Amino acid sequence: MELAPIFIWLYDTMLKLGLEVTIADVISLVGLAVIVFGFLTVMALFLVWWERKISAHIQQRFGPMMTGWHGALQTIADAVKLIQKEDILPALADRKVFFWAPVIVFVCSFAAYVVIPFGDGLIVSDLNIGVLYIVAITTFTIIALLMAGWGSNNKYALLGGMRSAAQAVSYEVPMVLAVLGVVMVTGSMSMNDIVRMQSAWGGFRWNIIFQPLGFLIYVIAATAEANRTPFDIPEAEQELVAGYNVEYSGMKFAMFFLAEFVNLFTVSAIAATLFLGGWNGPWLPSWVWFLTKTLGMVLLFMLFRWTYPRLRVDQLMEFAWKGLVPLAFVNLVYVGIVARWLNW
Amino acid sequence: MAQLVKRFFFGFYNLILGLVTTGKHLGRHAVTIQYPKERWTMPERSRGMVVLLTDHETGQLNCTACLLCMRACPTAAIEIEIEKDEKGKRRPKEFTVNYHLCCFCGLCEEACNFAAIKLAPKYEFPEWNSKDLIWDKKKLAEMGSDVPYEKPERKKVEAKKAPAAKSSAEGGDAAADTPVNPDAAPDGGEAKSSDGVG
Repeated sequence: MELAPIFIWLYDTMLKLGLEVTIADVISLVGLAVIVFGFLTVMALFLVWWERKISAHIQQRFGPMMTGWHGALQTIADAVKLIQKEDILPALADRKVFFWAPVIVFVCSFAAYVVIPFGDGLIVSDLNIGVLYIVAITTFTIIALLMAGWGSNNKYALLGGMRSAAQAVSYEVPMVLAVLGVVMVTGSMSMNDIVRMQSAWGGFRWNIIFQPLGFLIYVIAATAEANRTPFDIPEAEQELVAGYNVEYSGMKFAMFFLAEFVNLFTVSAIAATLFLGGWNGPWLPSWVWFLTKTLGMVLLFMLFRWTYPRLRVDQLMEFAWKGLVPLAFVNLVYVGIVARWLNW
Repeated sequence: MAQLVKRFFFGFYNLILGLVTTGKHLGRHAVTIQYPKERWTMPERSRGMVVLLTDHETGQLNCTACLLCMRACPTAAIEIEIEKDEKGKRRPKEFTVNYHLCCFCGLCEEACNFAAIKLAPKYEFPEWNSKDLIWDKKKLAEMGSDVPYEKPERKKVEAKKAPAAKSSAEGGDAAADTPVNPDAAPDGGEAKSSDGVG
């Protein structure tokens, strides 16, 4: 069942009830924001549980089993516990920076969902610069991580923040270059256009078929962007305790934690949209296809995390600048020449 | 350049191999036992709580109060008081195992010639009060009531072997391979130590 007609019907009903267009627009936008926010929060809670289950089963354990069905309510219990915790402010912390860092991380990680098409017509706002917007808004979280590291007045947090910034800036380059290949083929930055372009062949004319190298580069860079193993040096436990969020407690910590998993979902959703055909697919409703593909990507990222060991800082930088960036340029040239020559 | 490309593909292949390995493990069933809900059946010879075994035919304890277990115990966790029944047979008046001291080594079981004491494959006996961890004869017998065991064959001891068994008992030697006549063993050297206890 497609969900888009329901929203259209709701909007029309508001107009029929005699509301002015401006008020109806405001109400619908606020409603959409609440719906997306709620969906993402639930999804983040689900992903935390899922990650714990998957890591456990890879290690032949059960993971959380006590709260709810197979521990499904475990993250809710954890969130309730975190809310109850004392909000600690380090003595010499930079108060304003310390306070605003988690808020910015939270807002930025959620703001990317303005342009992500959850299904046919299920997009908050189809910006004509959608890809650029996503790249810009997800990069913004780096500043917040740096703020968190600086504001905590803790050497480990500062190191974590610095590493995070260095890593994210480095991997942003190949990621954007990989995404650019898709944009070149589509000729548009709008996410809806990119998805529609892949709707041929019964919804299976995916970009990954023509740009496997681009997909590979994107996945690697996105793993680094989401600060996940094997690129999780900003939160390397053995060296930095927990990284940029060492000094945070209670709800602020929970915000960082949620934002981390929302970021994971974001990069997966972008990978699904740009390379795996987005919501295209036969028989099932479009949003089911989108969720299936996105969760498949999430599963892949989780498998990465529990398979690969962490890279060293120098290896990380070398890999980004000497490995991925040249490869991304090769990919661009390939897309530019071969794709236009084949004219698809 | 060719070397680089080869290295790239070899590394990529290995990364995929790693993913396949973890993916396989993801499909396997977990080996964890959900402890309070599920319990592992302990091996028959595992050393859990110390129990006293009862002869199911007569309903009497197998123990003849020979004090071999008491002597074998490296932590002195066992205390025995001796009494004699109507026929003049020795039996424990009181048999105490102190679980504060017991190290579950199983030497008492090794020392016993009458299948009277055994380390049963039961391991759940925590108590709120530390005094409850000193178990008396009644509790030990109750815990041992459902423990299966093989009763050793009691044959008439040959005249030549009897002194050897006696001497080994005197020396506190735990390993007594020969089944000994229950009436013969506690006599002699045993009597001295029983005075000290009883």
